[in-house]
Amino acid sequence: MQDEMLAIILAGGQGTRLGKLTKDTAKPAVPFGGRYRIIDFTLSNCANSGVNTVGVITQYQPLELNAHIGSGASWGFDSLNGGVTVLQPYSSSEGEKFFEGTAHAIYQNIAYIDQQQPKYLLVLSGDHIYKMDYSKMLKYHQEKKAALTVGVIPVKYEEAKRFGMMNTDATNRIIEFEEKPAHPKSNKASMGIYIFNWATLRSYLMKSYATDKSLEDFGKNVIPSYLANNESVYAYAFKGYWRDVGTIKSLWQANMEFLTPHNRLNIADQYWRIYSKAEVLPPMFLTATSQLSNAMIVDSCYVAGEIDHSILSQRVSVGMGSRIIDSMIMPGATIGKNVVIDHALIGEEAVVGDDARIIGTKERIAVVGYHETVGVEQS
Amino acid sequence: MKRERVSAIINLLEPEDQLQPLTAVRPVGMLPFGGRYRLIDFQLSSIVNAGIQNVMVTVPRSGRSVADHLRSGSDWSLNTIRGGLFLSPYNDLKLVAPEKKLTLIYHYYDDSILFLKRSQSEYTVIMSTRNVSNIDLKALLRYHEERNRPVTVVYKRVARSDLTPENTVLQLTANDEATAVLPLNKLKAAPSTKQLAKSMSIYLLSTVDLIALLQEANQRGAMISLEQLLCQFVIQHTANAFEYTGYQANIHDIQSYFAANMSVLNETNFRALFYSSRRIYTKVKNEVPTFFTTGTRCQDSLFGTGGYIEGQVQHSVVFRNVAINQNTKVKDSVIMQGTRIGTGCQLENVVIDKNAVIGPNLSLKGTPEKPLVIRKGQQLFQQVEVAADD
Repeated sequence: MQDEMLAIILAGGQGTRLGKLTKDTAKPAVPFGGRYRIIDFTLSNCANSGVNTVGVITQYQPLELNAHIGSGASWGFDSLNGGVTVLQPYSSSEGEKFFEGTAHAIYQNIAYIDQQQPKYLLVLSGDHIYKMDYSKMLKYHQEKKAALTVGVIPVKYEEAKRFGMMNTDATNRIIEFEEKPAHPKSNKASMGIYIFNWATLRSYLMKSYATDKSLEDFGKNVIPSYLANNESVYAYAFKGYWRDVGTIKSLWQANMEFLTPHNRLNIADQYWRIYSKAEVLPPMFLTATSQLSNAMIVDSCYVAGEIDHSILSQRVSVGMGSRIIDSMIMPGATIGKNVVIDHALIGEEAVVGDDARIIGTKERIAVVGYHETVGVEQS
Repeated sequence: MKRERVSAIINLLEPEDQLQPLTAVRPVGMLPFGGRYRLIDFQLSSIVNAGIQNVMVTVPRSGRSVADHLRSGSDWSLNTIRGGLFLSPYNDLKLVAPEKKLTLIYHYYDDSILFLKRSQSEYTVIMSTRNVSNIDLKALLRYHEERNRPVTVVYKRVARSDLTPENTVLQLTANDEATAVLPLNKLKAAPSTKQLAKSMSIYLLSTVDLIALLQEANQRGAMISLEQLLCQFVIQHTANAFEYTGYQANIHDIQSYFAANMSVLNETNFRALFYSSRRIYTKVKNEVPTFFTTGTRCQDSLFGTGGYIEGQVQHSVVFRNVAINQNTKVKDSVIMQGTRIGTGCQLENVVIDKNAVIGPNLSLKGTPEKPLVIRKGQQLFQQVEVAADD
């Protein structure tokens, strides 16, 4: 490896809060914004930040994720000085199998990390929508001479209960970490983005797994342990657009924000492109009965109905007389004739039969699951 | 088909005068088609769908646009360890200085001969690009092997009224053999014959025979196009004639180019071309989804990705990365990649080449027989400029 920083993306999460959408697929592989999957944002950020070597740790239902990432060529990771490696869980001689937590996942892949000989380890989650230049964070980490830098984002105090909160001093040094505090003292929420000096983290992990195995999770165990040992831990404040899309409502909300013209994510920025595995598909086909208003549509869609403030992903077809309102339709879904879909997320390859009604509300988004069939008479 | 069994030559040295100004900046094979493709994509896709791994593209000039589109061939899986994609540039002798031409004599076909020898293939298929089709070349090979003639040519039955004098047709015998491939006006057929065999400009013959044909042409000092050589070969030996029955569009002038693009707006044609078991591949680009703003009226049209559409679009083919602003009406038109159309424009029967800038408040109108063509990168801001161009 030529770079001094290696990125590890933790993509093993089951995403139980996404319910039917992740029944047979990992959360980072969930489709977003018409032609992306959630992990594309993190992978593209790596590529755009000059982080050329990336390990993706998978665990739960990794099939789709593996197929999506492939050689990494879609993000330019198939170069001579780098590459993407999908890391699967495996059984060691001690009989360990699955990761117990984020830090444990890193520990289990020490052999891979050592092989890359990084000076710094960038730990990322594969389930956030944002654009971030990790090279700036590395520069900050180096300037602060930190052992660990944690990416933080300001959140509203009432939302702080949902996050791990970082309390800092005037120099942004983290002096206290509180997991989902009832009475937050700061508004700096952890984004689950860490830069570690690898040698330091490695010795912490080796020591822990040789003894009490206490360092399972970065937030719950590693950061408190670093603080207790007076390691220099700094917060790096990120001010751009960032969304955790771990729930049905937040995933729907982020998709609707994506639809808003000139939104803060600015997907069309030529200088920070979000790459995805590009399928070669025919152009979208709009019939004489199609009606589009505030619609985002991609290749190989077939539209004979009305699309109002909604996103259609690749290979979606919408029959005549159907109306899609305030919804996001995932790749390959087939929507029949005279269907009404309102405030909904429709899963990949789902089939919605003629005349079906799938109506949600802003508070309760309707969901049709991954490969689910609704309102089709089984013969 | 075994990997090395067949190799392919795509010939981009084709008649292009009638397609000006679209071909001023590219060979015929690089003409954009159907919302996101180039003509060459259809031949390349047929080739890789038949499992052919050895492909050479003969290019009239430097081939900048060709190399930019094809790159390593990875979008067609031609960048594998076996075979691959080869370019043979500067085949158009109009661009070669007389003294250079002298050095080329006896060597004009060297690139092709070397490619064919190295391919070690049993057969070679030669395709030109001015016919859009989605052909099963495996079936063509089977047909060839079952018959006795040394070469097989491909034709499509079309109505006489759909052909122009520039089209080449096959002179068919009663037992489905072709004694010649020739321009329509030289065909010896009763004027009452309604259906004619239009040549699809696809030839299959043994690689050894093709090498011999090229070497012999080199020795004579011939410097004519590969297609002309093959026409001579057909007259000499008579060819098996293979009938293609799928969608085809014939592109030889601006009107036929325009009509071909319009024909894929027909859903039956669209599905036949793009949704058969043989997929059409093209260069992959990372574009964002196309966004249609509040209250657009876009119907009966094809759109590529990366677009931003505020106006009305009816019965048109709109390529990638096109912006159409408010109160603009586009009807029966072909809008190529990267074009920007300002507010309040009216477009009808127009072909706009890549990266043009139009408007605001301009009226651009052609007819189906004579579509108005806006050149690549052309910027039009005043109505007088539109009239002056016509």
